[in-house]
Amino acid sequence: MRILIVEDDPSLASGVSRILEAEGYAVDMTSRGEEAVEAAKRERFDLVILDIGLPGMDGFEALRRLRGAEHRVPVLVLTARDTVGDRVHGLDLGADDYMAKPFAMPELTARVRALIRRSQAQTGPRVTHGPLMLDTVARRAYLAGEPLELAAREWAVLEVLLGRVEKIVSKESIIQAVAGWDEELSPNAIEVYISRLRSKLERAGIRIRTVRGFGYMLEDFKAS
Amino acid sequence: MKDRSLRGHLLRLLLLPVAGILLVSSVAAYYLALDPATQAHDASLIDAGLALAERIRTNAGITTVDLPSAAEQVLRTDPYDKVYYAVRDPAGHVIAGDAGIPAPLDQRNARATTMFYDAAYRGEKVRAATYLAPCGGQVCSITVAETTRKRDRLVREILIGSVLPQALLAVLTLVIVWFGVARGLMPLHRLSEEIRKRSARDLRPVGTAQTPEEARPLVGALNQLLVEVQESHRNQQRFLANAAHQLRTPLAGLRAHAELALAQPLPPAARAELEQVHSATVRTARLANQLLALARAESGGRVEPPAQVELKQLIEGAADDWVHRALERDLDLGFELKPAGVHGDVLLLREALGNLVHNALEYLPRGGRITVRSGMRPPAGPDAEPQPFVEVEDDGPGIPAVERERVVERFYRVPGTVGTGSGLGLAIVREIATAHGAALEIGAGASGKGCRVEIKFGVAKAA
Repeated sequence: MRILIVEDDPSLASGVSRILEAEGYAVDMTSRGEEAVEAAKRERFDLVILDIGLPGMDGFEALRRLRGAEHRVPVLVLTARDTVGDRVHGLDLGADDYMAKPFAMPELTARVRALIRRSQAQTGPRVTHGPLMLDTVARRAYLAGEPLELAAREWAVLEVLLGRVEKIVSKESIIQAVAGWDEELSPNAIEVYISRLRSKLERAGIRIRTVRGFGYMLEDFKAS
Repeated sequence: MKDRSLRGHLLRLLLLPVAGILLVSSVAAYYLALDPATQAHDASLIDAGLALAERIRTNAGITTVDLPSAAEQVLRTDPYDKVYYAVRDPAGHVIAGDAGIPAPLDQRNARATTMFYDAAYRGEKVRAATYLAPCGGQVCSITVAETTRKRDRLVREILIGSVLPQALLAVLTLVIVWFGVARGLMPLHRLSEEIRKRSARDLRPVGTAQTPEEARPLVGALNQLLVEVQESHRNQQRFLANAAHQLRTPLAGLRAHAELALAQPLPPAARAELEQVHSATVRTARLANQLLALARAESGGRVEPPAQVELKQLIEGAADDWVHRALERDLDLGFELKPAGVHGDVLLLREALGNLVHNALEYLPRGGRITVRSGMRPPAGPDAEPQPFVEVEDDGPGIPAVERERVVERFYRVPGTVGTGSGLGLAIVREIATAHGAALEIGAGASGKGCRVEIKFGVAKAA
């Protein structure tokens, strides 16, 4: 896995790169937007971590050029500004996620993992989360290499959660994603599917958190 | 001394000329009308004198007046005035008529055959005409006098007919000025009303469509000032954004390196020191964020233009950040969200909510329960609107009633509080609430335990 860090603050850049290297990623660094665009066009990266406040070409412009060149590489935007406008602007331009400085390193690594996994899920048939592996073409699930039986609805709920690891997924959005047009699904039904998923996954260390009154969150898998 | 009232100033300016014109025109009208009228009356006196002269007879040096009583009756008859006459012989003796009528003083020296003069007779003012007529080779004098009632009446009529309307016109002018000034200044009133009703954060130029031509320079100057204020405001916002950037980036680096170092095997003493560095970094970052938020909230510094904000969505969008911190601290963070739309600054509202949740996360012991709610409070009265609200309730130590007033002061911390707060959180929340016309209410939790902090909107006019 190869990550490009575009950040002009040398201290932050080196800190982030060393943390990601410690997580097993290959990291390249640049402090200039122009260089980042060139590098991303020339070589293949699995993720670009892009600072907005760059000297010369800023992060927004770099992002615009990347997306203008039809580049689908996932981009995680970093910013020290806290305007919602910046955030919306960044997402409009095609950023995949957004983090405000300063951030906690575990949060950064979690988001990096989630982004890479999501882009792989879009490009490949296999989604993994720790010991869990979903073959989306064959519609087969494996837990620690063993086949895992999942009902159709359980599969659908799990797919939604896997698409948004470490993020709260509201009950309504699960219902929307799972229920067909002609079906009525109650929030209680979702609770049932979640509890079944928990009983199947928790023994492997995969945890689904309940956020009271809101929804669920699939926790980042930490091998312990 | 300067005249501060435009109305008073105008009135004073107008009063003297108007009074002057009134006086001059009255005098002129009076004399212009009086002269011809007086001459006409005087002429009729002479006519009577000429008629009498016809009646003088002189026989052997004796002058008599042959006036039949019917003729005298005709002479004396007048609907308004009493008419007197006297005929004097050359020696000056009255030979007919009313003896007491004064003769003209300079009769002897007069060259003219006719003289007019004012005199008094029987206690009344009279106008007299004396005509010198030849009688027997000598000169007799005939005086005809009449009381001045007709003439007085004429004077009154002239006064009423010409001076009164002019006086009325003058008074009317002053009244029109009095009310006209008020009326003329109405657009200025509307303008000041419009400006007064504005929120301090509304720096749009004042519209000139309703403004009278004369007030345009004033509005123009005001708009110019607004543009300058806006510009300096933008500069301040740019400064804040730059300051935020300059502070946060190195802090992010510092934090990254501290966390990296902590991930390595370290001697316990060094680890303890490093943990101090790390937590100080986290605190400093938060403090920097809070100071920036406070500066932005109090300077009326909207980063975004005010917009319709759905508090439920705002909370849902921010919940990710909070839930992770809650999980780290083993706290049960829950939500009871119903739609609640307000008008405001999404960033400031997010900051306010973040501060409330952060406080709960900071001061709650492990295993504590936090609930974030949004929705509409039922209207306070029959004419009131439902009030949007957000609140954060926890079952932690709470804030003692006596401290609730003080906790919203800047840098104030409840004595004996553990934790790393700066004492700015609630001050920021209050500042933001006030800017949105919302009230900040601090109370105990539902069971009398813990703390409940509510931001209730629609309480006052948004600043």
